[in-house]
Amino acid sequence: METNPAHSRLTAIALTFMAIIWVSPFSWLFLNAFNTASTGQLEIPRSVGLDNFAMAISGNAGRQFLNSMLIAAGTATLSVVVGIAAAYPLSRLRIPGRNAFLWTLVLLRMLPSAGVLVPLYFAAQRGGLLNQLGVIIALTILNLPFTLLLLKNFFDTVPIELEEAAYVEGATLFQIVTRIVLPMSRAGIAVVWFFSFTGAWNEFLLPLIFARVQDAFPMSVGLYAAFGQQGAINYGFLTAYSIIYAAPAVGVYFLLRRNMNTGFAGVGVKG
Amino acid sequence: MKNQSNPWLTSNLFVLGLGMLPAALLIGVLLYFTAWAFAFSFTDLALVGRKSVEWSWVGLQNFERLFTRKGFLDALWTTVVFVFFSAIVGQSVLGFLLAATLRGTQSTLRSVVEVCIMLGWLLPDIVAAFLWSATTSQTGLINALIVVPLGFPPISFINDYALPVVIVANVWKGTAWSYLLFSAALDSVSREVVEAAKVDGATPLQRIWLVMLPIIRPHIATNMLFITIWTFTYFPLIFAMTGGGPGRQTETLAVFLYNQSFARGNLGFGSAISVAMLAIVGVLSIFYLRLLREPK
Repeated sequence: METNPAHSRLTAIALTFMAIIWVSPFSWLFLNAFNTASTGQLEIPRSVGLDNFAMAISGNAGRQFLNSMLIAAGTATLSVVVGIAAAYPLSRLRIPGRNAFLWTLVLLRMLPSAGVLVPLYFAAQRGGLLNQLGVIIALTILNLPFTLLLLKNFFDTVPIELEEAAYVEGATLFQIVTRIVLPMSRAGIAVVWFFSFTGAWNEFLLPLIFARVQDAFPMSVGLYAAFGQQGAINYGFLTAYSIIYAAPAVGVYFLLRRNMNTGFAGVGVKG
Repeated sequence: MKNQSNPWLTSNLFVLGLGMLPAALLIGVLLYFTAWAFAFSFTDLALVGRKSVEWSWVGLQNFERLFTRKGFLDALWTTVVFVFFSAIVGQSVLGFLLAATLRGTQSTLRSVVEVCIMLGWLLPDIVAAFLWSATTSQTGLINALIVVPLGFPPISFINDYALPVVIVANVWKGTAWSYLLFSAALDSVSREVVEAAKVDGATPLQRIWLVMLPIIRPHIATNMLFITIWTFTYFPLIFAMTGGGPGRQTETLAVFLYNQSFARGNLGFGSAISVAMLAIVGVLSIFYLRLLREPK
């Protein structure tokens, strides 16, 4: 917007400065992760190497990575599939009170999950679902209100005239949904999937309570458990493990980056 | 509003209803469990011991304890401070300023800044907590780079200024959300309107304050609603950084709830805390939704 070159150079400098401040805390993480003799202090490593990473992907840690992947991708996909099937009718049929209902659900979900966790645990225990599948279902239940609201908002922005035209041309409901509605709200669906994925990937409390054996731990719980194992804290392992743990969310973000802005436009649509 | 008489919809009502079934089922489960959590708040149910089996109804006793015992009101105040400074002042204002500034800058710089901010948001809570504990510790980055070179003795920020540190960490972590939302909102403001204001002699500040802000007001209200509520119930970052300490300086309601329910095992009292939190969140939401609905 600014056309004044001196002004915009000043802005650029300020922004660059801010970006540097923003990433500076990462220095500790990387300096320790690549330091083979890490002590947890902020220092230039005397011996640089990948030993910590080798340790962080072998044995239990590798297993935990797969567990996290399964939980996060499973939750995101299940939420989006169930969400789409319900959000399209919610968007198109004039069901009385649907908006008020959706907002109430979203607000209800704002209740700290610790509150719902206790009954959820009892139910999972009775149903024999204290495992990965149980975690996926529980997280989907917790995610669903928000997923529904966002998906409905995205579907609302697809012009109904297109669907009318397709119907006149002889398209069936299935064709209308798969050929018009879904492609047009692709960006929104990607964003919703991404939210559910990162949410489930980061989730800590629920898998902590549901996953009872070390083999079933996802990375969040594994990281927590790695603290204070064998007495002293191994900072090299911990920081390398943290980087691996943080990588997929960052990766998925870069894959979906182009869709993010479009997707976010839907968040602000009036409920 | 959509027309009810769209033939491809009305002739397939059964299929559409079938599609809604799984979601309806899961929502039903959620409502059922929430009702259960409400019911717990009137009991003296405990996590372990005799009262985990032989619990009894205690009426409103849990809710009386919220106000008569120390803890809840202090935690509420800590939460208000935490939400106000980290969400409303920090994330929202900073996110908006960034979105407004970056709107005009060249694309490389915009991408770099965007990615830097996003890194904070993408980082898992527990890793972010490690990072900030390390950065603000006595040998951490802030001391090594600023405090010690200026000749002061190193400060243990995480112990001496626990609440401000947690607030800064949350601003660092959460600004990306506000930024993305405002950025998308500003993109929807048509260039013609802004150009017209410019031609009419509006300064940059006036253009933001008088032209852009009113147009994106619904987005502002939605953003406020989400980040206020999220921050209000945000748990892992604070818990992993300070556990609510030192003392009770950083014990927000979410941490208080966890400590009461799981560390002390008072599930009944814990449920009462979450019901109280829900009531507060509900009032806040009604306030924001009013803001959202008001005619432009």
